[in-house]
Amino acid sequence: MIRLQNVTKTYKRGEEGEVVALDDLTLEVGKGEFVFIVGPSGSGKSTFMKLLTREQLPDSGELWVAGKNLATLRSWKVPMLRREIGYVFQDFKLLPSKTVYENVAFALEVIGKARREIDSRVPEVLELVGLEGKAQAQPHELSGGQQQRVSVARAFVNNPRILLCDEPTGNLDPQTSVGIMKLLDRINRTGATVVMATHDQHIVDSMRRRVVELENGVVVRDQSRGVYGYAG
Amino acid sequence: MSARWRYILGEALVGLRRNLLMTFAVILSVTVSLTLLGASLLLSEQVNLATDDWIDKVEVSIFLCNERSCGVDITPDQREQLLSDLESQPIVEQVFYESQEDAFARFQEMFKDDPDVAGVVEPDSLPASFRVKLVDPNDFDVIAQQFEAYPGVEEVVDQQELLNDLLRFIDVVRRAALIVAAIQLVAAGVLIANTIRVAAFARREQTSIMKLVGASNWYVRLPFLFEGMFAGALGALLAWGLLLASVPRVAENLRDQIQLVPFIGAEEVLAVGPLMLGAGVGIAAIASLIALRRFLDV
Repeated sequence: MIRLQNVTKTYKRGEEGEVVALDDLTLEVGKGEFVFIVGPSGSGKSTFMKLLTREQLPDSGELWVAGKNLATLRSWKVPMLRREIGYVFQDFKLLPSKTVYENVAFALEVIGKARREIDSRVPEVLELVGLEGKAQAQPHELSGGQQQRVSVARAFVNNPRILLCDEPTGNLDPQTSVGIMKLLDRINRTGATVVMATHDQHIVDSMRRRVVELENGVVVRDQSRGVYGYAG
Repeated sequence: MSARWRYILGEALVGLRRNLLMTFAVILSVTVSLTLLGASLLLSEQVNLATDDWIDKVEVSIFLCNERSCGVDITPDQREQLLSDLESQPIVEQVFYESQEDAFARFQEMFKDDPDVAGVVEPDSLPASFRVKLVDPNDFDVIAQQFEAYPGVEEVVDQQELLNDLLRFIDVVRRAALIVAAIQLVAAGVLIANTIRVAAFARREQTSIMKLVGASNWYVRLPFLFEGMFAGALGALLAWGLLLASVPRVAENLRDQIQLVPFIGAEEVLAVGPLMLGAGVGIAAIASLIALRRFLDV
Protein backbone atom coordinates (compact mmCIF):
# COMPACT_ATOMS: atom_id res chain seq x y z
CA MET A 1 0.00 0.00 0.00
CA ILE A 2 2.90 2.31 0.87
CA ARG A 3 6.45 1.75 -0.32
CA LEU A 4 9.49 4.01 0.10
CA GLN A 5 12.71 3.03 -1.64
CA ASN A 6 15.87 4.97 -0.71
CA VAL A 7 13.91 8.17 -0.17
CA THR A 8 15.90 11.27 0.74
CA LYS A 9 14.45 14.66 1.55
CA THR A 10 16.46 17.72 2.56
CA TYR A 11 15.40 21.25 3.42
CA LYS A 12 17.38 24.39 2.75
CA ARG A 13 17.97 26.41 5.88
CA GLY A 14 19.31 29.91 5.35
CA GLU A 15 22.66 30.37 3.61
CA GLU A 16 24.08 27.11 2.34
CA GLY A 17 22.66 25.28 5.35
CA GLU A 18 20.88 22.00 4.66
CA VAL A 19 18.89 19.80 6.96
CA VAL A 20 18.42 16.16 6.08
CA ALA A 21 14.87 15.22 7.10
CA LEU A 22 14.78 11.75 5.58
CA ASP A 23 18.03 9.97 4.79
CA ASP A 24 17.88 7.11 2.28
CA LEU A 25 14.72 5.74 3.89
CA THR A 26 13.34 2.39 2.77
CA LEU A 27 10.07 1.20 4.24
CA GLU A 28 7.06 -0.81 3.22
CA VAL A 29 3.58 -0.82 4.75
CA GLY A 30 1.21 -3.53 3.57
CA LYS A 31 -2.51 -3.39 2.95
CA GLY A 32 -4.54 -3.37 6.17
CA GLU A 33 -1.54 -2.84 8.43
CA PHE A 34 -1.54 -0.62 11.52
CA VAL A 35 1.79 1.18 11.95
CA PHE A 36 3.02 3.61 14.58
CA ILE A 37 5.72 6.05 13.49
CA VAL A 38 7.61 7.17 16.57
CA GLY A 39 10.70 9.24 17.22
CA PRO A 40 11.77 12.52 18.76
CA SER A 41 10.85 15.89 17.26
CA GLY A 42 12.85 16.51 14.12
CA SER A 43 13.31 12.80 13.44
CA GLY A 44 11.43 13.06 10.13
CA LYS A 45 7.90 11.97 11.11
CA SER A 46 6.20 15.08 9.73
CA THR A 47 8.19 14.97 6.51
CA PHE A 48 7.25 11.32 6.12
CA MET A 49 3.54 12.16 6.41
CA LYS A 50 3.83 15.11 4.02
CA LEU A 51 5.48 12.95 1.39
CA LEU A 52 2.66 10.41 1.57
CA THR A 53 0.02 13.04 0.72
CA ARG A 54 2.23 14.55 -1.95
CA GLU A 55 2.37 17.89 -0.13
CA GLN A 56 6.08 17.56 -0.75
CA LEU A 57 8.21 15.65 -3.19
CA PRO A 58 11.30 13.62 -2.25
CA ASP A 59 14.68 14.75 -3.59
CA SER A 60 15.49 11.22 -4.65
CA GLY A 61 14.23 7.69 -4.26
CA GLU A 62 11.00 5.97 -5.17
CA LEU A 63 7.70 6.52 -3.42
CA TRP A 64 4.54 4.50 -4.08
CA VAL A 65 1.22 5.16 -2.37
CA ALA A 66 -2.05 3.37 -3.20
CA GLY A 67 -0.51 2.06 -6.41
CA LYS A 68 0.67 5.49 -7.60
CA ASN A 69 4.25 6.56 -8.18
CA LEU A 70 4.29 9.97 -6.50
CA ALA A 71 7.48 11.09 -8.21
CA THR A 72 5.82 11.01 -11.61
CA LEU A 73 2.25 11.79 -10.53
CA ARG A 74 0.93 14.81 -12.44
CA SER A 75 -0.22 17.58 -10.16
CA TRP A 76 -3.77 17.50 -11.53
CA LYS A 77 -3.95 13.86 -10.45
CA VAL A 78 -2.95 14.62 -6.87
CA PRO A 79 -6.61 15.09 -5.78
CA MET A 80 -7.29 11.51 -6.93
CA LEU A 81 -4.46 10.27 -4.69
CA ARG A 82 -5.83 12.21 -1.74
CA ARG A 83 -9.28 10.69 -2.16
CA GLU A 84 -7.64 7.37 -1.26
CA ILE A 85 -6.15 8.86 1.91
CA GLY A 86 -7.95 10.07 5.01
CA TYR A 87 -6.05 12.55 7.16
CA VAL A 88 -6.51 13.18 10.90
CA PHE A 89 -4.77 16.19 12.45
CA GLN A 90 -3.58 16.80 15.97
CA ASP A 91 -5.64 20.01 16.12
CA PHE A 92 -8.75 18.52 14.42
CA LYS A 93 -9.02 21.33 11.81
CA LEU A 94 -12.80 21.49 11.82
CA LEU A 95 -14.55 24.42 10.16
CA PRO A 96 -15.96 26.42 13.07
CA SER A 97 -18.92 27.86 11.17
CA LYS A 98 -20.24 24.47 10.09
CA THR A 99 -22.13 21.87 12.12
CA VAL A 100 -20.72 18.40 12.77
CA TYR A 101 -22.84 17.03 9.94
CA GLU A 102 -21.73 19.78 7.54
CA ASN A 103 -18.08 19.31 8.44
CA VAL A 104 -18.23 15.63 7.54
CA ALA A 105 -20.44 16.21 4.48
CA PHE A 106 -17.98 18.88 3.28
CA ALA A 107 -15.38 16.23 2.46
CA LEU A 108 -17.85 14.55 0.11
CA GLU A 109 -19.33 17.74 -1.34
CA VAL A 110 -16.01 19.12 -2.50
CA ILE A 111 -15.18 15.96 -4.41
CA GLY A 112 -18.49 16.23 -6.22
CA LYS A 113 -20.51 13.43 -4.58
CA ALA A 114 -24.27 13.46 -5.14
CA ARG A 115 -26.51 14.81 -2.38
CA ARG A 116 -28.26 11.44 -2.08
CA GLU A 117 -25.00 9.63 -1.45
CA ILE A 118 -23.87 12.25 1.06
CA ASP A 119 -27.14 12.04 3.00
CA SER A 120 -26.85 8.28 3.35
CA ARG A 121 -23.12 8.08 4.05
CA VAL A 122 -22.69 10.87 6.65
CA PRO A 123 -25.14 9.50 9.28
CA GLU A 124 -23.52 6.09 8.79
CA VAL A 125 -20.03 7.33 9.58
CA LEU A 126 -21.27 9.55 12.45
CA GLU A 127 -22.74 6.42 13.99
CA LEU A 128 -19.44 4.60 13.50
CA VAL A 129 -17.59 7.27 15.51
CA GLY A 130 -20.37 7.43 18.11
CA LEU A 131 -21.64 10.92 17.39
CA GLU A 132 -25.05 10.12 15.92
CA GLY A 133 -26.72 12.45 18.43
CA LYS A 134 -24.41 15.39 17.75
CA ALA A 135 -24.99 15.93 14.05
CA GLN A 136 -26.38 19.43 14.44
CA ALA A 137 -23.87 20.60 17.09
CA GLN A 138 -21.22 23.22 16.36
CA PRO A 139 -17.58 22.14 16.90
CA HIS A 140 -17.12 24.57 19.81
CA GLU A 141 -19.93 22.84 21.69
CA LEU A 142 -17.99 19.56 21.68
CA SER A 143 -15.21 18.22 23.89
CA GLY A 144 -11.75 17.68 22.41
CA GLY A 145 -12.35 13.97 22.10
CA GLN A 146 -15.65 14.51 20.33
CA GLN A 147 -14.05 16.99 17.96
CA GLN A 148 -11.38 14.45 17.12
CA ARG A 149 -14.11 11.91 16.40
CA VAL A 150 -15.65 14.36 13.93
CA SER A 151 -12.22 14.75 12.35
CA VAL A 152 -11.89 10.96 12.06
CA ALA A 153 -15.39 10.76 10.59
CA ARG A 154 -14.45 13.37 7.99
CA ALA A 155 -11.25 11.47 7.13
CA PHE A 156 -13.06 8.16 6.80
CA VAL A 157 -16.37 9.21 5.21
CA ASN A 158 -15.01 8.64 1.71
CA ASN A 159 -13.88 5.09 2.56
CA PRO A 160 -10.19 5.77 1.95
CA ARG A 161 -7.75 2.89 1.67
CA ILE A 162 -5.25 4.64 3.91
CA LEU A 163 -5.78 6.62 7.10
CA LEU A 164 -2.91 8.94 8.09
CA CYS A 165 -3.05 10.23 11.65
CA ASP A 166 -0.64 12.97 12.75
CA GLU A 167 -0.50 12.91 16.57
CA PRO A 168 -4.26 12.36 16.80
CA THR A 169 -4.14 12.06 20.59
CA GLY A 170 -1.66 14.88 21.11
CA ASN A 171 -4.30 17.29 22.42
CA LEU A 172 -6.36 14.75 24.36
CA ASP A 173 -6.27 13.33 27.90
CA PRO A 174 -5.27 9.64 28.27
CA GLN A 175 -8.80 8.33 28.75
CA THR A 176 -10.17 10.15 25.71
CA SER A 177 -7.15 8.98 23.75
CA VAL A 178 -8.05 5.36 24.44
CA GLY A 179 -11.49 6.00 22.93
CA ILE A 180 -9.94 7.47 19.78
CA MET A 181 -7.54 4.50 19.50
CA LYS A 182 -10.44 2.05 19.76
CA LEU A 183 -12.08 3.95 16.92
CA LEU A 184 -8.93 3.84 14.77
CA ASP A 185 -8.60 0.14 15.54
CA ARG A 186 -12.19 -0.44 14.38
CA ILE A 187 -11.50 1.43 11.16
CA ASN A 188 -8.32 -0.62 10.66
CA ARG A 189 -10.38 -3.80 10.99
CA THR A 190 -12.56 -2.69 8.06
CA GLY A 191 -9.44 -3.16 5.91
CA ALA A 192 -8.00 0.37 5.91
CA THR A 193 -4.27 0.80 6.33
CA VAL A 194 -3.56 3.07 9.32
CA VAL A 195 -0.31 5.01 9.74
CA MET A 196 -0.08 7.02 12.93
CA ALA A 197 2.71 9.37 13.94
CA THR A 198 2.75 9.74 17.71
CA HIS A 199 4.61 10.62 20.89
CA ASP A 200 2.10 8.80 23.07
CA GLN A 201 4.01 6.04 24.86
CA HIS A 202 0.98 4.56 26.68
CA ILE A 203 -0.99 4.25 23.47
CA VAL A 204 1.83 2.54 21.58
CA ASP A 205 2.61 0.18 24.46
CA SER A 206 -1.00 -0.85 24.96
CA MET A 207 -1.85 -1.40 21.29
CA ARG A 208 1.07 -3.75 20.53
CA ARG A 209 1.17 -3.02 16.79
CA ARG A 210 4.03 -2.55 14.36
CA VAL A 211 6.33 0.29 15.47
CA VAL A 212 8.74 2.13 13.17
CA GLU A 213 11.15 4.40 15.02
CA LEU A 214 12.82 7.24 13.14
CA GLU A 215 15.86 9.14 14.24
CA ASN A 216 17.64 11.77 12.15
CA GLY A 217 15.74 10.62 9.12
CA VAL A 218 16.62 6.93 9.25
CA VAL A 219 14.74 3.90 10.55
CA VAL A 220 16.47 2.81 13.76
CA ARG A 221 13.87 0.21 14.70
CA ASP A 222 11.07 -1.65 12.92
CA GLN A 223 9.21 -4.08 15.18
CA SER A 224 5.97 -5.92 14.73
CA ARG A 225 3.93 -5.91 17.95
CA GLY A 226 6.39 -3.35 19.28
CA VAL A 227 6.50 -0.88 22.14
CA TYR A 228 7.32 2.84 22.26
CA GLY A 229 10.90 2.50 23.49
CA TYR A 230 13.35 -0.06 24.77
CA ALA A 231 13.13 1.25 28.28
CA GLY A 232 11.21 -1.32 30.39
CA MET B 1 -28.36 23.74 -10.32
CA SER B 2 -26.24 20.89 -9.00
CA ALA B 3 -24.86 20.94 -5.46
CA ARG B 4 -21.39 21.48 -6.90
CA TRP B 5 -22.27 24.73 -8.70
CA ARG B 6 -24.38 25.94 -5.81
CA TYR B 7 -21.33 25.58 -3.62
CA ILE B 8 -18.98 27.37 -6.01
CA LEU B 9 -21.31 30.32 -6.65
CA GLY B 10 -22.32 30.53 -3.00
CA GLU B 11 -18.69 30.73 -1.89
CA ALA B 12 -17.98 33.43 -4.50
CA LEU B 13 -20.83 35.56 -3.14
CA VAL B 14 -19.73 35.00 0.46
CA GLY B 15 -16.28 36.24 -0.49
CA LEU B 16 -17.64 39.36 -2.15
CA ARG B 17 -19.89 40.18 0.79
CA ARG B 18 -17.24 39.56 3.38
CA ASN B 19 -15.00 42.14 1.76
CA LEU B 20 -17.54 44.71 0.71
CA LEU B 21 -15.26 47.75 0.70
CA MET B 22 -12.66 46.05 -1.46
CA THR B 23 -15.35 44.72 -3.78
CA PHE B 24 -16.67 48.27 -4.12
CA ALA B 25 -13.20 49.57 -5.02
CA VAL B 26 -12.75 46.82 -7.60
CA ILE B 27 -16.10 47.47 -9.24
CA LEU B 28 -15.46 51.21 -9.29
CA SER B 29 -12.04 50.93 -10.87
CA VAL B 30 -13.28 48.47 -13.48
CA THR B 31 -16.14 50.85 -14.22
CA VAL B 32 -13.81 53.81 -14.72
CA SER B 33 -11.39 51.94 -16.95
CA LEU B 34 -14.08 50.33 -19.08
CA THR B 35 -15.99 53.59 -19.45
CA LEU B 36 -12.83 55.08 -20.93
CA LEU B 37 -12.26 52.04 -23.09
CA GLY B 38 -15.85 52.16 -24.33
CA ALA B 39 -15.61 55.89 -24.98
CA SER B 40 -12.49 55.47 -27.06
CA LEU B 41 -14.12 52.67 -29.06
CA LEU B 42 -17.14 54.88 -29.64
CA LEU B 43 -14.92 57.76 -30.74
CA SER B 44 -13.31 55.67 -33.44
CA GLU B 45 -16.78 54.52 -34.40
CA GLN B 46 -17.74 58.18 -34.67
CA VAL B 47 -14.69 59.00 -36.77
CA ASN B 48 -15.46 56.18 -39.19
CA LEU B 49 -19.06 57.23 -39.47
CA ALA B 50 -18.21 60.88 -40.10
CA THR B 51 -15.44 60.03 -42.56
CA ASP B 52 -17.61 57.68 -44.60
CA ASP B 53 -20.30 60.28 -44.79
CA TRP B 54 -17.98 63.17 -45.58
CA ILE B 55 -15.97 61.34 -48.19
CA ASP B 56 -19.14 61.32 -50.29
CA LYS B 57 -19.78 64.99 -49.73
CA VAL B 58 -16.38 66.65 -49.81
CA GLU B 59 -15.88 69.10 -52.54
CA VAL B 60 -13.22 71.38 -53.78
CA SER B 61 -14.31 74.98 -53.76
CA ILE B 62 -12.88 77.25 -56.45
CA PHE B 63 -13.66 80.78 -55.36
CA LEU B 64 -14.05 83.30 -58.12
CA CYS B 65 -12.84 86.86 -58.16
CA ASN B 66 -15.09 89.79 -57.49
CA GLU B 67 -14.44 93.47 -56.87
CA ARG B 68 -14.02 93.02 -53.18
CA SER B 69 -11.54 90.18 -53.27
CA CYS B 70 -9.39 90.73 -56.36
CA GLY B 71 -10.31 94.26 -57.38
CA VAL B 72 -11.96 93.10 -60.60
CA ASP B 73 -14.86 90.74 -61.32
CA ILE B 74 -14.23 87.53 -63.21
CA THR B 75 -15.43 87.98 -66.78
CA PRO B 76 -18.19 85.74 -68.17
CA ASP B 77 -15.67 84.41 -70.75
CA GLN B 78 -13.16 83.48 -68.09
CA ARG B 79 -15.92 81.73 -66.17
CA GLU B 80 -17.11 79.76 -69.22
CA GLN B 81 -13.54 78.73 -69.99
CA LEU B 82 -12.98 77.59 -66.42
CA LEU B 83 -16.20 75.58 -66.39
CA SER B 84 -15.49 73.79 -69.64
CA ASP B 85 -11.89 73.00 -68.58
CA LEU B 86 -13.14 71.61 -65.30
CA GLU B 87 -15.74 69.45 -66.99
CA SER B 88 -13.18 68.04 -69.38
CA GLN B 89 -11.07 66.69 -66.48
CA PRO B 90 -11.57 62.92 -66.03
CA ILE B 91 -10.96 63.17 -62.27
CA VAL B 92 -13.87 65.57 -61.88
CA GLU B 93 -17.20 63.96 -61.25
CA GLN B 94 -19.49 66.95 -61.07
CA VAL B 95 -19.31 70.74 -61.10
CA PHE B 96 -21.89 73.11 -59.61
CA TYR B 97 -21.90 76.83 -59.96
CA GLU B 98 -22.78 78.83 -56.87
CA SER B 99 -23.45 82.50 -57.58
CA GLN B 100 -22.97 85.26 -55.02
CA GLU B 101 -26.71 85.29 -54.44
CA ASP B 102 -26.76 81.49 -53.88
CA ALA B 103 -23.88 81.74 -51.44
CA PHE B 104 -25.64 84.54 -49.56
CA ALA B 105 -28.87 82.56 -49.39
CA ARG B 106 -27.05 79.46 -48.12
CA PHE B 107 -25.24 81.48 -45.50
CA GLN B 108 -28.48 83.04 -44.29
CA GLU B 109 -30.03 79.59 -44.09
CA MET B 110 -27.08 78.19 -42.18
CA PHE B 111 -27.17 80.95 -39.55
CA LYS B 112 -30.88 81.55 -39.45
CA ASP B 113 -30.88 80.95 -35.69
CA ASP B 114 -28.07 83.42 -35.23
CA PRO B 115 -29.17 86.82 -36.62
CA ASP B 116 -26.04 88.54 -35.30
CA VAL B 117 -23.84 86.50 -37.60
CA ALA B 118 -26.28 86.51 -40.49
CA GLY B 119 -26.62 90.28 -40.28
CA VAL B 120 -22.93 90.99 -40.77
CA VAL B 121 -22.85 89.52 -44.25
CA GLU B 122 -24.09 91.57 -47.16
CA PRO B 123 -25.38 90.04 -50.39
CA ASP B 124 -22.15 90.82 -52.27
CA SER B 125 -19.61 89.98 -49.56
CA LEU B 126 -19.46 86.24 -50.33
CA PRO B 127 -17.65 85.14 -53.47
CA ALA B 128 -19.21 83.06 -56.19
CA SER B 129 -17.63 79.62 -56.60
CA PHE B 130 -17.46 76.43 -58.55
CA ARG B 131 -18.02 73.50 -56.23
CA VAL B 132 -16.23 70.55 -57.68
CA LYS B 133 -16.87 66.97 -56.72
CA LEU B 134 -13.92 64.68 -57.43
CA VAL B 135 -14.03 61.00 -58.31
CA ASP B 136 -11.29 60.52 -55.72
CA PRO B 137 -11.15 63.28 -53.07
CA ASN B 138 -7.39 62.71 -52.74
CA ASP B 139 -6.81 64.19 -56.18
CA PHE B 140 -7.16 67.68 -54.77
CA ASP B 141 -3.57 68.66 -55.50
CA VAL B 142 -4.02 68.08 -59.23
CA ILE B 143 -6.98 70.43 -59.35
CA ALA B 144 -5.36 73.03 -57.12
CA GLN B 145 -2.15 73.20 -59.18
CA GLN B 146 -3.98 73.44 -62.43
CA PHE B 147 -6.63 75.98 -61.56
CA GLU B 148 -5.07 78.17 -58.87
CA ALA B 149 -3.34 80.25 -61.55
CA TYR B 150 -6.37 80.65 -63.80
CA PRO B 151 -7.37 84.22 -64.44
CA GLY B 152 -10.36 85.19 -62.33
CA VAL B 153 -9.72 82.45 -59.72
CA GLU B 154 -9.16 83.75 -56.22
CA GLU B 155 -8.50 80.57 -54.26
CA VAL B 156 -8.88 76.80 -54.41
CA VAL B 157 -9.91 75.29 -51.10
CA ASP B 158 -9.98 71.61 -50.18
CA GLN B 159 -12.76 70.85 -47.76
CA GLN B 160 -11.18 67.53 -46.96
CA GLU B 161 -8.33 69.41 -45.36
CA LEU B 162 -10.77 71.02 -42.95
CA LEU B 163 -12.21 67.62 -42.14
CA ASN B 164 -8.78 66.14 -41.66
CA ASP B 165 -7.97 68.64 -38.94
CA LEU B 166 -11.11 67.67 -37.10
CA LEU B 167 -10.44 63.97 -37.54
CA ARG B 168 -6.88 64.37 -36.31
CA PHE B 169 -8.14 66.11 -33.20
CA ILE B 170 -10.69 63.37 -32.49
CA ASP B 171 -7.99 60.78 -33.05
CA VAL B 172 -5.73 62.40 -30.45
CA VAL B 173 -8.59 62.39 -27.93
CA ARG B 174 -9.34 58.77 -28.77
CA ARG B 175 -5.73 57.70 -28.28
CA ALA B 176 -5.49 59.55 -24.98
CA ALA B 177 -8.66 57.84 -23.76
CA LEU B 178 -7.28 54.48 -24.86
CA ILE B 179 -3.98 55.00 -23.03
CA VAL B 180 -5.68 56.11 -19.83
CA ALA B 181 -8.09 53.19 -20.16
CA ALA B 182 -5.18 50.76 -20.49
CA ILE B 183 -3.41 52.16 -17.41
CA GLN B 184 -6.66 52.09 -15.45
CA LEU B 185 -7.29 48.53 -16.57
CA VAL B 186 -3.89 47.43 -15.28
CA ALA B 187 -4.64 49.17 -11.98
CA ALA B 188 -8.00 47.43 -11.83
CA GLY B 189 -6.27 44.12 -12.50
CA VAL B 190 -3.80 44.65 -9.65
CA LEU B 191 -6.66 45.59 -7.34
CA ILE B 192 -8.55 42.46 -8.32
CA ALA B 193 -5.48 40.27 -7.80
CA ASN B 194 -4.98 41.74 -4.35
CA THR B 195 -8.64 41.29 -3.42
CA ILE B 196 -8.59 37.68 -4.49
CA ARG B 197 -5.41 37.04 -2.55
CA VAL B 198 -6.99 38.49 0.59
CA ALA B 199 -10.08 36.35 0.03
CA ALA B 200 -7.97 33.23 -0.46
CA PHE B 201 -6.01 34.02 2.69
CA ALA B 202 -9.18 34.53 4.71
CA ARG B 203 -10.33 31.05 3.69
CA ARG B 204 -6.96 29.28 3.79
CA GLU B 205 -8.08 26.79 6.43
CA GLN B 206 -11.09 25.69 4.44
CA THR B 207 -8.94 25.59 1.33
CA SER B 208 -6.27 23.42 2.95
CA ILE B 209 -8.91 20.94 4.14
CA MET B 210 -10.43 20.85 0.66
CA LYS B 211 -7.04 20.04 -0.81
CA LEU B 212 -6.35 17.30 1.70
CA VAL B 213 -9.68 15.55 1.16
CA GLY B 214 -8.97 15.58 -2.57
CA ALA B 215 -11.03 18.41 -4.02
CA SER B 216 -9.84 19.04 -7.57
CA ASN B 217 -7.72 22.12 -8.20
CA TRP B 218 -10.51 23.78 -10.13
CA TYR B 219 -13.01 23.10 -7.43
CA VAL B 220 -10.76 24.92 -4.99
CA ARG B 221 -10.08 27.77 -7.36
CA LEU B 222 -13.39 28.43 -9.07
CA PRO B 223 -15.09 30.26 -6.18
CA PHE B 224 -12.22 32.75 -6.08
CA LEU B 225 -12.08 33.02 -9.84
CA PHE B 226 -15.82 33.66 -10.04
CA GLU B 227 -15.53 36.20 -7.27
CA GLY B 228 -13.14 38.23 -9.42
CA MET B 229 -15.07 37.67 -12.63
CA PHE B 230 -18.33 38.67 -11.01
CA ALA B 231 -16.86 41.97 -9.84
CA GLY B 232 -15.36 42.52 -13.29
CA ALA B 233 -18.69 41.85 -14.99
CA LEU B 234 -20.51 44.18 -12.62
CA GLY B 235 -18.01 46.96 -13.34
CA ALA B 236 -18.39 46.40 -17.08
CA LEU B 237 -22.18 46.55 -16.88
CA LEU B 238 -22.01 49.76 -14.87
CA ALA B 239 -19.66 51.31 -17.42
CA TRP B 240 -21.98 50.21 -20.21
CA GLY B 241 -24.92 51.76 -18.40
CA LEU B 242 -23.01 55.01 -17.96
CA LEU B 243 -22.22 55.21 -21.66
CA LEU B 244 -25.79 54.29 -22.62
CA ALA B 245 -27.10 57.05 -20.40
CA SER B 246 -24.69 59.73 -21.57
CA VAL B 247 -23.48 59.15 -25.13
CA PRO B 248 -26.83 59.30 -26.99
CA ARG B 249 -27.67 62.49 -25.09
CA VAL B 250 -24.35 64.14 -25.96
CA ALA B 251 -24.72 63.03 -29.57
CA GLU B 252 -28.23 64.46 -29.67
CA ASN B 253 -26.91 67.82 -28.47
CA LEU B 254 -24.14 67.85 -31.07
CA ARG B 255 -26.55 66.79 -33.78
CA ASP B 256 -28.62 69.90 -33.06
CA GLN B 257 -25.57 72.11 -33.38
CA ILE B 258 -23.67 70.48 -36.22
CA GLN B 259 -25.92 69.27 -38.99
CA LEU B 260 -23.14 68.46 -41.42
CA VAL B 261 -21.93 65.28 -39.72
CA PRO B 262 -23.86 62.16 -38.70
CA PHE B 263 -23.45 61.14 -35.06
CA ILE B 264 -23.47 57.76 -33.35
CA GLY B 265 -26.41 56.85 -31.14
CA ALA B 266 -27.63 54.23 -28.67
CA GLU B 267 -27.21 51.51 -31.27
CA GLU B 268 -23.44 51.92 -31.40
CA VAL B 269 -23.23 52.05 -27.61
CA LEU B 270 -25.18 48.79 -27.40
CA ALA B 271 -22.79 47.25 -29.89
CA VAL B 272 -19.64 47.94 -27.83
CA GLY B 273 -21.25 46.35 -24.74
CA PRO B 274 -20.19 42.75 -25.35
CA LEU B 275 -16.64 43.90 -25.95
CA MET B 276 -16.56 45.85 -22.70
CA LEU B 277 -18.08 42.91 -20.83
CA GLY B 278 -15.47 40.62 -22.34
CA ALA B 279 -12.65 42.97 -21.38
CA GLY B 280 -13.94 43.34 -17.80
CA VAL B 281 -14.46 39.64 -17.21
CA GLY B 282 -11.25 38.74 -19.05
CA ILE B 283 -9.04 41.10 -17.05
CA ALA B 284 -10.66 39.91 -13.82
CA ALA B 285 -10.13 36.26 -14.72
CA ILE B 286 -6.48 36.76 -15.64
CA ALA B 287 -5.79 38.82 -12.52
CA SER B 288 -7.52 36.25 -10.30
CA LEU B 289 -5.66 33.34 -11.86
CA ILE B 290 -2.32 35.07 -11.39
CA ALA B 291 -3.21 35.81 -7.77
CA LEU B 292 -4.22 32.19 -7.18
CA ARG B 293 -1.37 30.53 -9.00
CA ARG B 294 1.08 30.60 -6.16
CA PHE B 295 -1.36 30.65 -3.29
CA LEU B 296 -3.27 27.52 -4.17
CA ASP B 297 -0.56 25.23 -5.45
CA VAL B 298 -1.01 21.58 -4.54
